[in-house]
This record gives sequence, structure tokens and C-alpha cells, in this order.
Amino acid sequence: MSLQATELTVEPPAAPTRRTRDALGRYLSRTDGVIGLAVLVLFGILALIPTLLVGPLQNVTTATGTPLQPPSLAFPFGTDELGRDLLNLTVHGARISMTIGLMATLITVFLGAVMGIVSGFAGGVLDAFLMRVSDFFLVLPTVVLALILAPVLLDLIGPDAELFGIRSTLIVVVVVIGLTSWATTARIIRSQVLSIKERMFVDRARVVGSGSGWIMRRHILPNVVNLIVAQAVLTFAAAVFTETTLAFIGLGDPSAPSWGQILNAAQSAGAPGLGAWWYIVPPAACVVLVVLAFTLVGNALDEVLNPKAGGRR
Amino acid sequence: MSAGVRGRRQWPLPRLADPTAPLLEVEDLSVRFRMREGSVKAVDGVSFRLDDGEALGIAGESGCGKTTTALSLVRLLPPNGRIRSGSVKLFGIDLVPKTEKQLGRYRWREIAIVFQGAMNALNPVQRIGDQIGEPIEVRLGQPREAARKRAGELLDLVGIPKQRASAYPHELSGGMRQRAMIAMALACDPAIVIGDEPTTALDVMVQAQILQLLERLRRELGLSLMLITHDLSVIAETCDKVMVMYAGKVAEEGPVNRVFTAPRHPYTKKLLSAFPNIHADRRTLDVIPGSLPDLRNPPPGCRFAPRCPAAMAVCREVVPPEVRFADGVRVACHLYPTPDATPNLDLALAGQVPALDGEVAR
Amino acid sequence: MTERPHDETAPDTRHAPNGEHADHGAVPHDPDDHEAAARAAALHAAAHDPALPSPPPHPAHEHAPGTTVSAVAADAPEILRLTALEVHFPVRGGITDSLRRRPKGVVRAVDGIDLSIRKGEILALVGESGSGKTTTGRVVVKLTKQTGGTVIFDGEDVSTLWGTGRLRPYRRRVQLIFQDPYETLNPKHTIGDFVEEPLLVAGRGLSKAERRKRVIDALEAAGLRPAADYAARYPHELSGGQRQRVVIAGALVMDPELVVADEPVSMLDLRRERGLTYLFITHDLAIAWVLADRIAVMYLGKIMEIGPAERVIRAPRNPYTQALVSVSPSPDPPSEGEDAQRTILVGETPDAAHIPTGCRFHPRCPLAFDRCKVEEPPLFDVGEGQQAACWLAKEG
Repeated sequence: MSLQATELTVEPPAAPTRRTRDALGRYLSRTDGVIGLAVLVLFGILALIPTLLVGPLQNVTTATGTPLQPPSLAFPFGTDELGRDLLNLTVHGARISMTIGLMATLITVFLGAVMGIVSGFAGGVLDAFLMRVSDFFLVLPTVVLALILAPVLLDLIGPDAELFGIRSTLIVVVVVIGLTSWATTARIIRSQVLSIKERMFVDRARVVGSGSGWIMRRHILPNVVNLIVAQAVLTFAAAVFTETTLAFIGLGDPSAPSWGQILNAAQSAGAPGLGAWWYIVPPAACVVLVVLAFTLVGNALDEVLNPKAGGRR
Repeated sequence: MSAGVRGRRQWPLPRLADPTAPLLEVEDLSVRFRMREGSVKAVDGVSFRLDDGEALGIAGESGCGKTTTALSLVRLLPPNGRIRSGSVKLFGIDLVPKTEKQLGRYRWREIAIVFQGAMNALNPVQRIGDQIGEPIEVRLGQPREAARKRAGELLDLVGIPKQRASAYPHELSGGMRQRAMIAMALACDPAIVIGDEPTTALDVMVQAQILQLLERLRRELGLSLMLITHDLSVIAETCDKVMVMYAGKVAEEGPVNRVFTAPRHPYTKKLLSAFPNIHADRRTLDVIPGSLPDLRNPPPGCRFAPRCPAAMAVCREVVPPEVRFADGVRVACHLYPTPDATPNLDLALAGQVPALDGEVAR
Repeated sequence: MTERPHDETAPDTRHAPNGEHADHGAVPHDPDDHEAAARAAALHAAAHDPALPSPPPHPAHEHAPGTTVSAVAADAPEILRLTALEVHFPVRGGITDSLRRRPKGVVRAVDGIDLSIRKGEILALVGESGSGKTTTGRVVVKLTKQTGGTVIFDGEDVSTLWGTGRLRPYRRRVQLIFQDPYETLNPKHTIGDFVEEPLLVAGRGLSKAERRKRVIDALEAAGLRPAADYAARYPHELSGGQRQRVVIAGALVMDPELVVADEPVSMLDLRRERGLTYLFITHDLAIAWVLADRIAVMYLGKIMEIGPAERVIRAPRNPYTQALVSVSPSPDPPSEGEDAQRTILVGETPDAAHIPTGCRFHPRCPLAFDRCKVEEPPLFDVGEGQQAACWLAKEG
């Protein structure tokens, strides 16, 4: 074995990166990130000020259109079987769907990440125990859990509770989605944690005296953030779909129709058979667009947050 | 040295081979990598020759182009690498203009490679006996039984007990795996075996064993070897000739016992004195200040000039020509403008010869 | 002494199956690895940017060639003492073994060693893979728990520190320079973060400005200038050699008293100036020869020989050491007949779960005789501070 004979008087490579400003710049230079962000912002606006844009949510009594009419100038998205303006419903639906999606995702990702990191890092008995717990939640069928939990939770929070603009039944939906999805996220993150904790820089952190909590926060977490973001995107998409399923079994709020519920209603009204495509396409397209937007943002964030930016594309 | 590979070949020479031509003759080889930031000339005008039964060591720091040189002989380059110019003549046949398909006749059958890090090169889910037999089946078209038999012979040859043919790579020790790699390289009875850092990842005792093995194989099979390594001791022990590369160019080349005992090029000298030598009295190590030049934009003149304590004004402007000495050594250094130059290298390195300006440029 | 030569890109560390880390050769050899080829080419793009200010002149730690490293004062106090240190790992069997409640075996990575290091000394622990040298180092820095024996640091028994609150103070005084500069740095942290971390966790009430200053000082002392520039970089922006220096800076920022260096590919000459003591782990006798005051040779968990570097290298008394020295690479081409002088052992080191009886080296020892097969020799004193564990050395 020989040493390499070069000594390093070390001239630093290119100019140092100014972290935050540069990160934003890099993000904005990515077309996919910008598009994704723009779409999300658009839907965000729809979600925040629907009334301002299309007026209050229409219901049976305020419906003004003829039932099941295709799109026209007066009703750009057509009408549903009650004569309600579908544009109105779709825009209002944004709020519900996005809120449910976001809240459920937050719960899932937070629970999943914490469990995953703690379990993976601690190992041993705690890991085994937490994994058994997560196994339990993994096998829980969503619908069954919803049916069981619904009355219990509704009792707990009362029928008129409201959180961030969604009412009791929808809160139950959020809780149910959270409880059934966190386990998958936890397992995925745990697996990554298992391999990170064996890496030399974790050893080094120990050698300089860092405690477990510190290591989990400063060493493990930053190295799983990418995975967490990826999981969040997937969870959001799944949440929207799950919410639709739950709406099917009656866990919806008719006064606050989400996109899933609109689709559900379209189904019940026989829209596919009647050729009423305008009833189906808008809500479905919105779901797809939002999920896509999240994915794009997630991708762009992944590149930006990863300091190895500048690598080959 | 031994009678050489041609007398002992099991398989016929390639059709177009010229039996009187030297085994391998590389002339003015240049290899470029296309990078995002520009084009990098990793190998720039390298020439050398390998004769039957000879062992050539290519030495230099990481990034000097030695691996690229060797891999480009059989064109094992990444997609962004290309041979830009030069010729690689095996038995007088130039391999550079050959198509990928045509190269198949030469890869492994005439030139085989033993890579560093056997675990990466061996298939973890295939038994080593099968892996060694595979090239025999695939490239030589031999039936499986014959390939198996030959694989067994090869295992014997490299010192692995035949029973271990059914073992998987992870069941073998590091040294055994390296031997298996050597057996694989020998499968098609190549004329040349290239070893790319063949002993770097091994314990020193195992390294000694492997080098001993390579030496024995060379004698018994009349093999020609090319060893690429930054470890000068490996070359000192096993090679007849050494070629010292720096930043894509050849600094010095010649018989090992000339170059290592009386180095001419300042870089060679510095390299040798930077090697921790257990048999030497001194317990100090030399250093070469600075770092490799940026090959997207190499310095004009001699590429080593920025780090050379003996650099003169001309070194920074003119690329030094290659000069061949009577004792068979080639040097590319302005200290040796003619084959009869005999400057005092030590004084030059100390910056003490009057004509030198001794300052390291920045 | 001149600054150590430096492996900028290709650490040549050997690979060892149990617990020691594999080599991370920076110049890749897989021709299909584009990323690696790009890296190789990027290595060419070392900073030769005329726009950058020129570095300070090469520090003049000159040692006239031929002089030896100054020895440590004979009366220097002992800073570390390992006594009968053992690290045994159980090898867990599969289900059938668990059902029968039988562990498959024991890996005796470190099997009873005594070691003492004096303040200011450099002791090299040399051995091949499976020798237990890395595990010993890990025990000293408390990354691995010993299963037997004691560790005394600066007169104090530190064998069990977990849960006593004395672990952190110990870690301030004993540090490890890790083997692999690519893996030691968290890719998400800047260089500054890395060097600052020990200061943050020590919680010694240093202000932000004080910490910053210490970080800058440490980086500069490791030869990385301008330090502020480096502190803002991420590991992937630095070459292997630069990262190695960062690792060193990170180990020295706390001003430890004892530094364990695991297969370092470069060692700056700070130790003499700072009065540091080094335990230096390597597989390369030649490096040990160049850098160490004393050398201890390990084989399969035991110390085979220990003594001043000159004695161990020039007059080894244990056949294993003799063999190692004889095959140690040298850039001098062998002259005729020199081959016979190399003792190339047959076979490879057996694994630590199946250690031979008697002297553990006897199956491969060219000089083994009957007693060697049944009885393990202790370390015998052979004079001038040298000891060898060999029955042949018994007479002194």
C-alpha cells in the first residue's frame, strides 16, 4: 500500500453556496417545481375563497339550473341532477378535498415519521413492540374501522364540531385515514432509518458525545426528509381516494361535498349511463391535477433539498 | 524471460494477426470524456509497447489516466468516453477502428481484465465454478462439460481447491475471490491480462500471495501482464517495465530497475520518495505540494510544472518532448532535452541549478 | 517533519470482514459506472483557479531526512492502560439453535490484550483483517463495549461509563479519527456543522461566536484555508483529501488528549505541537514504521509483539511479525535471490470464531513446534522494551 503522494494545500472548489437564497433560486429554476407550485397555489386559492369566486355553495333550494344540462355559457361545467351549478360545486369541493387530504396527510406523516424514526433507531424491544402495534394498524380494514370508530368519535366530539372548516363526520374521516395510513409510512421510514443508523457519520456523532435524541433529529431526520416528502405525496392522493370510499358508505357531509362526493353523486345519479360526462370529468380532473401538482413539487423539492444538486440529470 | 505467449497458445491467433508484430503496440493514444462542463482529455498522447511474456506496470496517482488507458485498449469506456486518436495494435491489428461487434473477438479472448474489488465484479448469486466457465462457453463456444472441466483446471492453477467450484462468492475470503477473478480472466487463455489495482483491497500477506501467483502464472503460461496501480511496490515486485503517468501523459517509462533506482523525471523521483518504505532508514516522508491540474484546461507546457520544484521557464510554455535514453528509458522532461543529458536531479529539485528558477508557480 | 503525504482521492484501506470498513476507492474501476467516471474526470478539475488567492506558503515543518522521530520522555505518565481486554461477540445461530438454546459460537475479536500508552506517545496497532485492532480502537472510544478487562484512562477506571454521566467528559478527552472520509461526513450537513457538533453537544456554555472561532481555528490547523469558505461547503463539494482534513479538524476541535486514528491516510504533524497522544490503527507496517514510536502487532485478537518501532521492524522476535515485515511492500525492485527472503505465509487468517488452540498462529507459522500447538505463549520480555509472544522468545 502506498500513500498518494499529493499533499493538499487545498484550494477550495467553486464559491460557497449561500444556502437559503440559493435553494429558492434553484427551486424556481425547475419547470416542474414551478408548474406544480402554480397549480397548488391555484387550488389553494379556490379552497380559501370559494364563495368569493363562485358564490355560496348551492344546495337543493338554491339550485337555479335545469337538471343534468351539459356545459353552457351560464353553467360552464353543466348541472347536476338537482340543477346545481357544477362549477360551483367543484370549486367548493376544492376546500373540502384539500382540507381533508392535507389534514389526513399531516397526521399520517407525522405519526409515521416519528414512529418510524424512533422505532428504527431504538431497535430492540421498543422496535419490536412498535412494529407489532403498526402491524395491527396495517391490517385494519379502513371501512370497518370507520364504521366502528364513527359513532365513538362522533359521540366524543359531538355532531357539530368543526375543525378548519370541516364538520364532525369529516373529522372522523380524517382520523380514520390517519389511523390506517400511518403504519405504512412508519415501516417505510423505519427501513431507511435502519440503514442510516449504521453509517459512519452516526458513529461519529456518538463518538463526539451526541445523545440519541440529538442524533435522531440532526442526523437521521434530514436523511429521511426526502422519503417523508415522497410519502406525503402518496398519502395525499390516497387520502382523497379513501375519502371517496368513505363517502360511499355514508361518512360524508352532504352540506360539504368533496370532489369524491361529487363523483359519488354522479355515480348515483346514473351520470355515466346518461352520458353526463360534465358531471364526472371536473371533479376527477381536479383530483388528478392536485395529486400531480404535489408530485411535481415533491420531485423538485427532492432535488433542491438534496445538497448534491448539480449532479447529472 | 519466458518464450512468450504465442508458443503456448491453445487457440489460434486472430485471422488478421501478423505473427512478427509485437504483442501490443499503443501509439499516441488519446481518450476524451465529455463532461457537462467541457471535454476532459483523460489520456493525451500515450504510447507504449508490451512484448510477449512481459509485465508492464502503469503507475501514477488517482486520476492520472492509467485506468482509462488500460480500459480503452478493449474500449471499456463509459458512454461519454471516446478514443479520439491513436492506435492500439494487437499482433499488428489496430483495435481502434473496430466495431463493438468485432471487438468481441478480442475482449477476454486476447485481453482480459482483473478488476479491483472482486465482490463488485463477481455475480453474488452464481457459483464461482460457473462464473469461470461462462466465458469459455460463451466466447469460445465450448460445450458445458468441457467448460466445467476447464474451470476446474483453472481453479487448480490459481490455488483454489477444486471442491470450491460450487461455492458462492460470499463464501470465499478476499484472497480467494481475487484468485477466482484471476481464474476467470484466464478462462479464454488470453494473451494479455490487465490487472486494475489487483491487490489494493487485500491484506498485505494476501497481496504477497496474489503477486506470487501472478508471477508464477506469468512464468508457466507465458502470460503478458499489465498492472495498473498507484502502489509502486507492486510494480517493483512483479513488473519488468514501468510507465509513470501524470495528468494523462507519460512522464517516464522504462525498465523497472532503471526507473526505480535512478529516476530521471522529477515526478517519478518525488513519487518514490513519498512512498513509506519499511526497508529504508529514513522515517520521514516526502510530499508533493499542490494537486492535479484541471484537465478541462490543462496548463500549457509540462503538466507537472506547477508542482515541480525544478520547473524552469520553458516548462511552463512548451510541452516537453519525449527523449529515449540508451538504457531503454523514455522521459518527457525539459531537464533532458537530449539523450545524453545528465542533470543533477537532486540539485534541480532543490532549485539549486543556476538556470532554474525554482519557484513553484501559482 | 514535513507534512504527511496525502491521499487525495484513493484511500487504500484494506477490507476486513469483521467490523472494519471497506475501501472506498475514489477512482472507480467499473467501466460502466458513469457517475464514477464523472467523478474521476471531476478529480481532474481540482482547483486550479487563478482567480483564487494563492495559498499560504508551505508550512516549514522540516525534518532533515534521516533523522528519527523524537522519542517520548521515559518518565511521561501513562495515559491509557488496557488490561486483559476482551471483546467477544456471540454468533447467533438460526432457529434450530435458538430452539436448542445454544449460541452457535463466539467471535473472539479481542481476546485478552494488555496495552499501555504514555502521554505524548504514538503507538501503532498493526494487524491484518480479523486481528481485532479496529475493535480495540472502538473500545477505547467507547463505540463498542468490552466484554472483559479494564480500561484505565489517566489513572481513572473508565471501564463502565454508561449511565454515570461521566461518558461525555470522557468523550471530550478521547476522540476518534474515522477511517473513511466519504462516509464520516453527513451529506446533509455543512463542514462547519460537522466541526461544530462536538462543541454543541458538549454544552460547555460556549457562545455562538466562541464556537465559530473554534471551528475556524480547527479548520485552519488542519490546513483548510480559507476556513470560512470551507465551513460553508457541503461534503460533496470537497475532494477526498480535503474531507480527510475535515475529519481531522472535527476530531481535534475539542482539544482531546488521546486520539485514536483508524487507518488514516494522512496524519498531520499536529501532535508534537499539541502534546497529543495517538493510538493509530493500521494494516500497513510501513506507515507504522514511519509514524510511530512504538508498534504493537495483533493477530486474531492477541498482541503478538510490541516494542519500539526500531526493534519491532528491524529485529522482530515473533515469526508473524517477521513474516509481515518481510512481505511489506517496498518500492525497491527485488534483486536476485531476494525472493527467498520473503516469508509468504500459506492460507489466510482463520476467522475469529475458530481460533486455533495453543498459539493461535501455529498453523501458519514456519517455526512452530510441539509446544506451540497446545500452549499459548505469553508476552516475553526480549529486552529494550520489546516483548514477543512466542515460545522461541522465551529465552530472551
